Amino acid sequence: MKEKMNRRTFLKYSAAVGATTAIAGVPTLLRAQAPEIKIASLQPVTGVISDIGISMRRGNQMAVDDINAKGGIKSKGGAKLRLLLGDTEAKEEVARSEAEKVIKEGAVCIVGPFLSGNAMTIATLCEQRQVPFVMDVAAADDITQKGFKFTFRVFPVSTNFANNMLLYMEQIMREKKVSKIRGVVTNTGDLFGRVQGATFLKFLKEKKFPIEVLGHIEYPLGIQDLSAEVSKIKALKPDVLFPVARPGDSRLLVRELYKQRVQLMGIVSPGSPGWYEPDFIRDMKGLSEHIMDNVPWVNPAGKMFKEVNTRFGQKYPGKYLDTNSGYAYLGVLVIADALERAKSTKADDIVAALTKTYFKQDLVIGGAVTFDKKGDNINADSAMVQIIGQAVKVVLPERAAEAKYVFPMPKQLWDRGI
Amino acid sequence: MNVNLLIQLGISGFLLGGVYSLIALGLSLIFGVMRVINFAHGEMMVWGMYVAYTLLLWTGIDPFFSFLVSAAVLFFFGYLLQRTIVNRILDFPEAMQVLPLVGMAMVFENSARIIWGPDYLSPQSRFSLSSVSFGFLTIDTPRLLAFSLAVIITLLVLLFLKKTDMGKSIRAAADNRTGALLVGTDVNKIYAICFGIGAACVGAAGGLLVPIMPLSPYIGAPFTLISFIIVILGGMGSLTGAMVGGLIIGVAESIGPELITNLFHGVGLDLDFPQTMKQVVSFFILIVIMLLRPQGLLGGKKG
Amino acid sequence: MKRLNILLLIGLLILLVLPRFLSSYVMGVFILIFLYAYLGQSWNVLTGYTGMISLGHSLFLGIGAYMTFLLTFTLGVSPWIGMWIGGICAGVVGLVIGYFGFRFGLKGVYFVLLTISFAEIGRLIFLHLKVFGSFQGLFIAPNFSFANFQFRENIPYYYIALGYVVFSLIVVWLMERSKIGRYMIALREDEEAAESLGVDVFKYKMIAIFISAFMTSLAGAFYTNYLYYLHPGTMMSMAFSIEIILRPIIGGMGTVLGPVIGSFLITPLAELSRTYFAKAGYEGLHLVIYGFLLVAVVLFFPRGVISYIKKALAPVLDK
Repeated sequence: MKEKMNRRTFLKYSAAVGATTAIAGVPTLLRAQAPEIKIASLQPVTGVISDIGISMRRGNQMAVDDINAKGGIKSKGGAKLRLLLGDTEAKEEVARSEAEKVIKEGAVCIVGPFLSGNAMTIATLCEQRQVPFVMDVAAADDITQKGFKFTFRVFPVSTNFANNMLLYMEQIMREKKVSKIRGVVTNTGDLFGRVQGATFLKFLKEKKFPIEVLGHIEYPLGIQDLSAEVSKIKALKPDVLFPVARPGDSRLLVRELYKQRVQLMGIVSPGSPGWYEPDFIRDMKGLSEHIMDNVPWVNPAGKMFKEVNTRFGQKYPGKYLDTNSGYAYLGVLVIADALERAKSTKADDIVAALTKTYFKQDLVIGGAVTFDKKGDNINADSAMVQIIGQAVKVVLPERAAEAKYVFPMPKQLWDRGI
Repeated sequence: MNVNLLIQLGISGFLLGGVYSLIALGLSLIFGVMRVINFAHGEMMVWGMYVAYTLLLWTGIDPFFSFLVSAAVLFFFGYLLQRTIVNRILDFPEAMQVLPLVGMAMVFENSARIIWGPDYLSPQSRFSLSSVSFGFLTIDTPRLLAFSLAVIITLLVLLFLKKTDMGKSIRAAADNRTGALLVGTDVNKIYAICFGIGAACVGAAGGLLVPIMPLSPYIGAPFTLISFIIVILGGMGSLTGAMVGGLIIGVAESIGPELITNLFHGVGLDLDFPQTMKQVVSFFILIVIMLLRPQGLLGGKKG
Repeated sequence: MKRLNILLLIGLLILLVLPRFLSSYVMGVFILIFLYAYLGQSWNVLTGYTGMISLGHSLFLGIGAYMTFLLTFTLGVSPWIGMWIGGICAGVVGLVIGYFGFRFGLKGVYFVLLTISFAEIGRLIFLHLKVFGSFQGLFIAPNFSFANFQFRENIPYYYIALGYVVFSLIVVWLMERSKIGRYMIALREDEEAAESLGVDVFKYKMIAIFISAFMTSLAGAFYTNYLYYLHPGTMMSMAFSIEIILRPIIGGMGTVLGPVIGSFLITPLAELSRTYFAKAGYEGLHLVIYGFLLVAVVLFFPRGVISYIKKALAPVLDK
């Protein structure tokens, strides 16, 4: 099937070249034969998660542009990467169709798609069509447990998040001499929220960690009113709130906590979006101060990060490279690196190269990207970030820290003069 | 059973219910007069939110004033929509009426996305953080304001329909379209104004909600559904019914899960009714009403 | 009418031979066309023929999908067998909805809301059941084999989907010609008259909703093993229900070919608008255009596309 497609594509290609040559003459002939390698970015740029989807696409695109600016894939004669753009609309059906489309258009590798459900559909299709698939962001463990040969994941899996969370909390509690914390865990009722929340709770229980969970509250994704939930949180009188949220409800949560005067030592997310986006800080201002989040973050001390982030901020004013766009960028770098080493665009060669990846980078926190047998990046790591001075700063682990963490919160939300 | 919590939840839900009432009022007008299921209702509300947001951003005017502009803009959209599309589908079979409005819902939703981007927006406005405390109760100021303004608007609309000539014409056209035509009423214009008012209601409600909820292009759909539940609960054709229905649903969604959980525990069942299932409460109420009293609580004739 | 049959046969033959010439991607689009045609046809059995509009059909699809999965996962039963059991479950749920709706005389927008309510309640319940993957959804492990209803290439999926459509066409065609069908059409046209003539309106409505629910749910087995991921949020959502009803309404309700024509029109429209109008920087434009196109199609073809096609082809067919 693939043979037929290649032949057909080749025939179409030559016909096109022939036609354009006939019409436009020699310069066109030269241009049409410049080597080009197509890869595809599939992200949910419309639909309920489109704010993150667009961030991902920008990360993918910028990496492609940067690689091309530096000379493209040198082992293939300086071939430029061309990024085919796909919109999964956050639906599995569309994700599959878009994946089929970009494969037909000649993509030799796919990157994406943020949502784990979409990722499953694309991964299965890539296995069927034998096309390599690199997940820049997708957290559900299940995907790499199905024995897929063609799927790789750059992002850490949720057990990794939970491990780190406990490590960081242990350090904070030890250093601040807090022997026990009474906490409430909340999460959005979607796949990511549920998995994060459940994994965190599971680890707390298994490791018999000194965080007592007073309550676990879930609310529907897309909820517009959290007053009931916060009333319940207040009634439980916790020391710390551990919220797994999304960009919409994170704001609601903070405002409700303010309005209902919920006394807290801290707000520490086990790992979720909603707390580090520039719009969140801009909208919340002083209220965002001292919120902590355990996320696979960009490496603030990294040379690569600083350079890319500056340009990202120039291209998209008001935005900075965060977890999602950072990993999207990294995903493409990993693919390019594999292409360099594979010296070919054949699927099996690319997969072989990906398996042997050892990509040193200081774009995101964590070591060199390297995949285990299941395709997971074993050096993927998360860091504890905190909003200090209305900017996101890495506070743990110390070796990557930009600032010392602040715990407990010195001022309650309503004492900040807002 | 935590009575304090229940009271807190109840009041919070009641206040939000006031805004729901306003949204449902818009729908009740449209459905009551033209028999059209406005599937774009929620999405139109979101536009109202965005208009108020934009004004806040550009001029600093608080949404509790600029909701009037939202209402005006949406009136214009509604009028236009009725004259161009809705008017043509009035006599279509019901199923055919659904589609154009579903299409318009997509248009509203995605054009909002193109214009304002996909990010959740939650600007700080003057009252967004204030609250009033009475002992154990905390009352959310934005909610209180939204409730009060929503009630005022609803009463104004009701007055308009009862006392003004235009209002009477609208009610006449609702009751008897052929009759109205025979008497020489410009039914098309009446319908357009009616749709416009319905849209204005929902636009105003949107403006009032800006200090309360984060904005995104995709939050409209659940509101369409809720307004339908409220309209049926209150009684189709009864505008006061929409008001009452809104308050009931607001409270039900807020305290329902907590009450039911207490009920379960009370009879020895170790089961929690999660907040994530709060919509089940509203749908359940809807089914019961439709089966036992289809004309709704305050509806007169059978819809 | 014989000419029409010949045309249809030619159409079918073309579709049978087409895979040879199609890329995997285009075949995928055809698969979606067939699936939506099938779902639309199944919905049509209830709404097109009895006039009771349902906006909650995604519930039946979900029941079929989840039941099939459950039987495969726990008892190792092949989806080919499991789907019939899922169908019966869906049919029973349909009867429950039908009972509430028909016994209590709910019509028009009331019935619509009843179906929406049941679908939403169903979705929320499934969302909380661990056995169905709860909020995570179910990740289906691919195990390509015919018995498992899972294939590497699109070709088998294509023919199976085509098979679904042919199956639905046969069912509807037989129904139209049978006593059941005639009664259903009668009660759609004028329920009171039919009742006064002694037609057991309630019984026929119940039959209609059972068949409709049963048929819809059979497609669940296909979706599970085509997309490899199940989640109540997508599978049992109102958005999906709307997608299901778009095609038969535009094509022409209450006709045998309406849903098929509707799907051939709308599904590629959605795909093309995404391909040509999804521009970076204007994300969502393709959906705005799709929305306007829907409005336009309804305004130009208020009685469904098929009635215009029939008129246009009348000189050719009526010989």
